[in-house]
Amino acid sequence: MKARLFAIATVAGLLVGAGLAQAQIKIGAILSISGPGAGMGNGYKGAFDFFPKEIAGQKVEYIVRDDGTDASNAYTIAQKMITEDHVDAFIGPSLTASDAAVAPLADKAKVPMIAMAPYEYDPHKQPYVFNDAQPLSLMVAKVFKYMQQHGVKTVGFIGFSDGWGDAVLAATKTAAAADGIRILDDERYARTDTSVDAQVLRLMSRHPQAVMMGNSATPAALPVVALRRRGYRGGIYGNHGIVSPAFIKVGGAAVEGVIADTSPLVVYKQLPAGNVVKPVATAFMQEYTKKFGPQSVNPFAGYSYDAMLLLKNAIPQALKVAKPGTVQFREALRAALEKTHELVGVSGVYNMTPDNHNGQDSRAAVLVEVKHGAWREIH
Amino acid sequence: MDPFIFFALLQDGITTGAIYLLLAIGLLIVFSATRVIFVPQGDLLAFGALTAAGLQSGHVPATLWLLDGLSAAALLASLTGGVRAAGRALLVWGVYPAVVSLASVWLARREIPAVSILLALAIVTPMGPLIWRFAYRPMADASVLALLILSMALHFVLIGLGLVFFGPEEASVPALSTANFTIGALDISGQSLCVLGAAVALVVGLGWFFGATVQGKALRAAASDPLGARLVGIDAGATGSLAFGLAAFIAALAGVLIGALTPLSYDAGFEIGLKGFVAAIMGGLVSYPMAAAGALLVGVLESLGSFWASAYREVIVFTLLIPVLLWLSLRRGSDEDRA
Amino acid sequence: MKPWLAVAATVAALGIVPALLPAFYVTLFGYVGLASLVALGLVLLTGISGQTSFGQASFVGLAAYATTLLTKFAGAPPIAGLVVGLAVTGSVAWLLGLITARLSGHFLALVSVAWGISFFSLFGTIPLLRGFNGIGGIPPLTLGALSAANPRVNLAVIWAVVAAIMLLSANLLDSRIGRAIRTLNGARLMGESVGIDTARLSRAVFVIAALYAGLAGFLFAHFQRFISPTPFSLGASIDYLFMVIIGGAAFLWGAPVGAILVVVLRDQFNDWIPRLTGQPGDYEALVFSLVVILLLQRAPGGLMPLLLRLRPRKRPDVAAETASDATPALSIAPTGAPTGAPTGAPTAAAGAPGPELLAVESVTRHFGGLAANQDVSFAVRAGEIVALIGPNGAGKTTLFNVISGVLPPSAGRVRLFGTAGGHLAPRRIAALGLARTFQHVKLLGGRSVLENVALGAHASGRAGVLRCMLRLDRKEERRILADARAQATLVGLGDVLDRPAGDLPLGQQRVVEIARALCLRPRLLLLDEPAAGLRLQEKQRLALLLGQLRAEGMGVLLVEHDMDFVMQLADRVVVMDFGQKISEGLPAQVQADPLVREAYLGSVA
Repeated sequence: MKARLFAIATVAGLLVGAGLAQAQIKIGAILSISGPGAGMGNGYKGAFDFFPKEIAGQKVEYIVRDDGTDASNAYTIAQKMITEDHVDAFIGPSLTASDAAVAPLADKAKVPMIAMAPYEYDPHKQPYVFNDAQPLSLMVAKVFKYMQQHGVKTVGFIGFSDGWGDAVLAATKTAAAADGIRILDDERYARTDTSVDAQVLRLMSRHPQAVMMGNSATPAALPVVALRRRGYRGGIYGNHGIVSPAFIKVGGAAVEGVIADTSPLVVYKQLPAGNVVKPVATAFMQEYTKKFGPQSVNPFAGYSYDAMLLLKNAIPQALKVAKPGTVQFREALRAALEKTHELVGVSGVYNMTPDNHNGQDSRAAVLVEVKHGAWREIH
Repeated sequence: MDPFIFFALLQDGITTGAIYLLLAIGLLIVFSATRVIFVPQGDLLAFGALTAAGLQSGHVPATLWLLDGLSAAALLASLTGGVRAAGRALLVWGVYPAVVSLASVWLARREIPAVSILLALAIVTPMGPLIWRFAYRPMADASVLALLILSMALHFVLIGLGLVFFGPEEASVPALSTANFTIGALDISGQSLCVLGAAVALVVGLGWFFGATVQGKALRAAASDPLGARLVGIDAGATGSLAFGLAAFIAALAGVLIGALTPLSYDAGFEIGLKGFVAAIMGGLVSYPMAAAGALLVGVLESLGSFWASAYREVIVFTLLIPVLLWLSLRRGSDEDRA
Repeated sequence: MKPWLAVAATVAALGIVPALLPAFYVTLFGYVGLASLVALGLVLLTGISGQTSFGQASFVGLAAYATTLLTKFAGAPPIAGLVVGLAVTGSVAWLLGLITARLSGHFLALVSVAWGISFFSLFGTIPLLRGFNGIGGIPPLTLGALSAANPRVNLAVIWAVVAAIMLLSANLLDSRIGRAIRTLNGARLMGESVGIDTARLSRAVFVIAALYAGLAGFLFAHFQRFISPTPFSLGASIDYLFMVIIGGAAFLWGAPVGAILVVVLRDQFNDWIPRLTGQPGDYEALVFSLVVILLLQRAPGGLMPLLLRLRPRKRPDVAAETASDATPALSIAPTGAPTGAPTGAPTAAAGAPGPELLAVESVTRHFGGLAANQDVSFAVRAGEIVALIGPNGAGKTTLFNVISGVLPPSAGRVRLFGTAGGHLAPRRIAALGLARTFQHVKLLGGRSVLENVALGAHASGRAGVLRCMLRLDRKEERRILADARAQATLVGLGDVLDRPAGDLPLGQQRVVEIARALCLRPRLLLLDEPAAGLRLQEKQRLALLLGQLRAEGMGVLLVEHDMDFVMQLADRVVVMDFGQKISEGLPAQVQADPLVREAYLGSVA
């Protein structure tokens, strides 16, 4: 048996050797394409169909893998991408938990990584990690500002019983405190739950004026449906994790009037003419919807696309320093990414610094509302 | 907890309990007839719901092509079995799928809720016998444990197919009733009544089927004494087919019912199915009335449990098994020596 | 194959392979090793003792989280994490085993699904464990200045542990406890009849399997240095089970073979299927599960039997086997009275019946409304052979089961060896000096005749699980095997000691049961239809043996349909019909009893 094991190892070694021989840029992408996060994952995945095959004259290979909405899986895949595929950069992971698992690996191996879920970290401790999704604080603040303007004094919170729910709650607490809004209740449910009636009933028994949701994707429709079925008449607010056509498809009439923050990409048609993001977002979404249908508009594809734009912007400078597949190239790539200045993506505008590896500002957030079965921008 | 909330939760619990009851019945039928612990029943539930949802949004669901493919394979396989068998197979695995396919393609565009639901039942029900034919029957003599492991593998196959067929998003089935009745302070939804009505109708129907029809009696005979049944000429293949057909029908029915209460994704069926198991185990995998009581208990406990400690709901439901098992094991004693 | 040879080869490989493997495969084979540990536990549990668990991953998780909490948050050394992790895992398994030990296999399996989900859910919800975000930065294993932060060192550590566990498991299976464990798989009644506490033993196996999983969990935490709940999910548990099924559940080597196949296949599928379909994420699990189903259908025993068949191996025992096939052992002339026969338990004066061994006093046994035994009384004394006869359905086997403690009587009592006559478990009764055989032969068909006979000497041994694993039981084991060999030779099985018991003709299998019973050194022997299926010569030989045992003072109670055999051999005959004793006396008296004639003629016709 040992002999066979050795044979496998030898063959594997040859394969790896063959892989090394081609000089090209390799980008690893770890996405949650199956499992509970799959609803978002498909959006992230769709954007890859529009990525350039060449950047600055170098061939680019994108290795896309599914982590099954599982941080441990993401960790294993990242290890393989680093040690066997010798990727030059990571796009993703697309799941907050996976980002947390992969970031230390990427940082240690000096592989620049552009996380695509709102994931908070210290760029001084993990200098190779970047993030192109809007920080939750930025987005939730926008929602609460709107609530305050519309006279909301009390909210109840309902969210996932996982890291995402925790993160949104944390941002909610900060924003609510800033705007003088009281949080009356904190209810949680699992992404895979099929009923949230109990949580909704308890939430309603506290009589909040509005409900803030810390959930994402289609499972976010569940509490909205339950709230409306139980006769709740207050406003229901969400975060950018819920904004997709699938949310409306699943929630049906019940989700009419739900308000959430999102990337400008989602309402690209309705952006005012002077908006800097509008032309880039429109160009991308027109192609995207041509391929995947008019119902396919979603913000997640935008994060993948912006990650590519960030890399595309930085790669020419890194190529001046070293060849792809070397640590010098990756170091240079990181340095170039950190110098990103006024890069217009489809989800916002990026200005990176050593202190800020996200670099987005309020241009990356818009408020949208479900009206007549579609997401529409409100001002 | 005020009484309003309590009754709302109770209503919820009884409704989901009725769904678990349906599944528990399906599991018991299959287990007693074939010794198969039919884990993928939950996945067929999701198939039923998502097929109905697909039809209702104007798509011809991919489950139809699965039905056609498997039927064609069954038809081909039957060609070796002589003219009479082939003739019968042509009817079951040739004409039937063709009719259902034509009807689905033709009717999908109309998006009539009742039609979508009936078509979903017609598409998913034959998958039971087909699964039996291709997965279980080749190893029908294996141990209960080997069959259980096969069931687990099959569950992953169906989940995989579900993802390919329906995509990762949840979908809702049109409700049979959108009515709402108010009795005092209580809101009773029409869909809940539909679920309960369907459960009762199914129990009565099955009671009649097992008591009054030849096939039903044969199935019962095969369950109580497999060897004897074989000796008097009851075909094990046919009873297996029938049991799996019933289970698939029940699963699809449960799917279209619960799919109107909560959006379902391709992988949501497994956990719902497991709770049916918990109920069936409470009946010791033999007793229907005990399983029914167990199903309602699971439903209500889950509903109340999610009010008190929603994060620990699953733990509460599955921990319920421990006292039940203790009681079962004290009552039954050791029963391993059945070779 | 000598286990120590395989282990030596493994140790050599441990030094070389990790240094040569490409980096990723170091990681991958690390996972293979960890999975092998869990799978080894499942081989003991599923393949050998016939139980199944869909919850092994949760044991991995318990230990992993325990060591993580201790080493990362409390700053304890990893060894403390190991000890606590194993203690937690072991106690949880012991408790779960306590609850489910008496239930049959598929119940345990279904319940394991339940706790698999419960623990997974707890890992994800207990705030201390940081939910699905997981915990990173777990300290690596260190030994003085040697740190296992290097994955290559890790790989060597993991496989060293795997090799050690393989060796311990092989030792365990090749011992008194190992034989006993095999009775758990569908022969518990027999196990109890030779004095094995099957409930306790199955719990022990369950705990061992959980500890192997816990060991894997400990290594996993310090090897990957990042944990989140998902590797401990139900899906992961099922994967471990798939490994065992694919590799071959009945073989220790099935565990690493299955682990390699599953881990490598999954990895390769994740690489190749997206390339073929252009769709990552959609088809990998589907294709993998289809492969598992095909394997289950085509190769239900797993790959190990196929691999073993491939191996060109000289079998020195082939000649001996064919020889013994040609001449059935029992037709060889009887060995005669062996000098210094090791059966001499109590020595009563030969020929004259001694003290009362068994007193059945007004025993009644109901099944629902049906009385299988109604007010039956009789006695068996040392140095006599009593035959229990009656038409089919007269309640003889039920009475046997009541006497041997399998069933408690509904009324009346059974007094053995002068005890007060409260209901005792079969293994306690066995310890008192009663041995039995079964109407439907209960042997470990795949094991050798010698091993089957040695099962009878189980109660005479003291070595526990740990001593057996560490090979500290050899002296005792030699004695047990010598004893078994002597008993087997005494009954004429000397030529077939190494053949699988299941290959023998039915008559000889009955003789194996008798030899096993004799190994208990009983004072009273219960034989359920010992002559059924025996040829004339064999019957004569059996009669000779029983006569000899009687002469040595043993009491024998036998149920038998062969009237010639009974009438020649028995000192007294008890006749039953419809659950009641209708006659008792000397063979000739009973034969003349009109009630007996009526019972037989009435029912035989």
